[in-house]
Amino acid sequence: MNASELQIEFEKIISRDYFSDKVKPIREKAFENFTSKGFPNKKLEDWRFTNLSRLYRNSFVISNKNHNNPIGVNLKKFHIQDVYTIVFVNGHYNTKLSDKINGVQLMTGLEYFEYKNTSTDCLSNCPFELLNTAFMDSGLSIVINKNQTLDKPIRFLFVASDCENIMISPKINIDCGENSFFTFLNHFVGDSSHFFTNSSISCSLEKNSSMRHIKIISDSKNGIIFNKINVQQKQNSRFDFLQFCYDSNLSRTKIETRLDGEGAECSLNGLSLSRKNQQLGTHIVTNHFTPNCWSNQNFKNILLDNSSGIFNGKTVVHKHAQKTDSQQSNKNLILSKNALMNSNPQLEIYADDVKCSHGSTTGALDEDALFYLRSRGLNLIEAKKLLIRGFAIELFEELKHEPTKNFIIDKFESWLMNNAA
Amino acid sequence: MLSIKNLYAGTEDKEILKGIDLEVKAGEMHAIMGRNGSGKSTLSNVITGRDNYLISNGSLKLNSKSITDWTPEKRSLEGIFMSFQYPVVIPGVNNTYFLKAALNSKRKHEGKKELDSAGFLKVIKEKLKELDMDMKFLQRPVNQGFSGGEKKRNEILQMLTLEPKLAILDETDSGLDIDALKIIADGVNNYRSKNNSFLVITHYQRLLKYIKPDFIHVLIDGKIVKSGGKELALDLEEKGYNWLDS
Repeated sequence: MNASELQIEFEKIISRDYFSDKVKPIREKAFENFTSKGFPNKKLEDWRFTNLSRLYRNSFVISNKNHNNPIGVNLKKFHIQDVYTIVFVNGHYNTKLSDKINGVQLMTGLEYFEYKNTSTDCLSNCPFELLNTAFMDSGLSIVINKNQTLDKPIRFLFVASDCENIMISPKINIDCGENSFFTFLNHFVGDSSHFFTNSSISCSLEKNSSMRHIKIISDSKNGIIFNKINVQQKQNSRFDFLQFCYDSNLSRTKIETRLDGEGAECSLNGLSLSRKNQQLGTHIVTNHFTPNCWSNQNFKNILLDNSSGIFNGKTVVHKHAQKTDSQQSNKNLILSKNALMNSNPQLEIYADDVKCSHGSTTGALDEDALFYLRSRGLNLIEAKKLLIRGFAIELFEELKHEPTKNFIIDKFESWLMNNAA
Repeated sequence: MLSIKNLYAGTEDKEILKGIDLEVKAGEMHAIMGRNGSGKSTLSNVITGRDNYLISNGSLKLNSKSITDWTPEKRSLEGIFMSFQYPVVIPGVNNTYFLKAALNSKRKHEGKKELDSAGFLKVIKEKLKELDMDMKFLQRPVNQGFSGGEKKRNEILQMLTLEPKLAILDETDSGLDIDALKIIADGVNNYRSKNNSFLVITHYQRLLKYIKPDFIHVLIDGKIVKSGGKELALDLEEKGYNWLDS
């Protein structure tokens, strides 16, 4: 993927008649900004370890309308009970495969911009977010009204199927009104031999609202999956995030949260399982702008074979954010000699009355613990599995929606079964 | 039961055991006493099959079968158990899950049906009672946040659950207050029978007030320098180890 190839694709997308002309200037502005910035290079701290050559090596094309059929993917495999699922196939909303949802305002991107009387951000610092805006093709926006509580989670399932070298650019906006509660699942899968999903999601949480966001990347062996997540929090709001990621060739999640109201709480958690030459990375900036906020980052990687992982997490406590309480932890389990973890936990504190901690550990399975378990009659493989499970399990305990929890635990167990032996 | 002949063993760069001979018959309890660094823990590690320990000479047999090539799990399944001096903390794995997995592994090996949760609970409740342990022990991660005494009780709970033929108690008395020591001693004494054997490894003779071994061996510099009956413990208490140094 290079600039001239992207230019061709960009001309294709702005000429599509099924996209509104109103979006055209937004796309053009974003693309112009992207072009002037260019792709990131390794000199930038946040991009030092990301293996972008995998992206540059392939040329990606946008999909067209008749690519709305997940031929090779067995969607039953991704069924989660008691969840509304909306399916997007190769960047197209597939109404036939999707559940009908009542009582929630779902909007297209354009409807959302008109509703908000605003435009999407074309000035982002993140080149891939600009690229997402220039090429946005799917995703929906969700507006949760004041005092509204949704018992059943909504899941967006993005499927890349039967299209080689496709680039998909979902854009999602979620507004949680005052006092509302909502659980959102974002799930990425794909069986194409190469695909690039470059998504962006912006969540805005009003006073006293609470949102749980679960993100799953699975079954995407040949997929490059980038995800930019922006979170804006008002006072006493609560944002809980859990990422569960495995079997993606290259994935990069960038989260930027702004705690901008007293008493706001933000908990970010994740587990990434990598094997072969996969690279799974998480990059976070948690910004504390106001006093008395709480934040947490807890990310774990389990690495096999030649795989690698990145944790680049930063907490910034700005000048006025006194009494900030913040923890950051990154723990990694390396199960092969050739696996590599890049862990970079950072704290930037500009206030003087705060409680902040951070830490990172990376290591192999504990030999003493392995011997202990074996001395009780468990064989080496069982003992390893038990320890790996023990390492991961605390993250699943955070999950409150049982069917989703079971789904994730099942996926984890089968990954363990197939790989840990 | 356990037969050790002319055993030389150690780590890669150091020989620690220098010709051990020890015969433990069914129903017997033997105590190994010695100072720090005399090779007591090496002996228990070699019997339980810990990696990093190499046997350079001699034989190690359980019921006439050489066990030197057996994995630690095989030794456990065949009836060897060790109560660890420093029980290992296993975060994220709850005690029930661990104990049930261990017990079922053993049952499977013996051709018995594996226990379901209800069946397991029935077994474990009885053992907990015997050791004056609360049910909430089961819900906690293995040894995490346990006090020294709780950890040792948890070891004995595992012993009672797995019903080994040969139980090695490695410094089980260290870090215990007198009440905990009595409870553990009761657990051990109740388990004693003519079918199973004990190897009690200890530094002091404190534990031996409550658990009466049939034989005591003194280990100095990787060799058994003196063997005798329980009266030997009293001699050691009185005179220390120095009179045995050659």
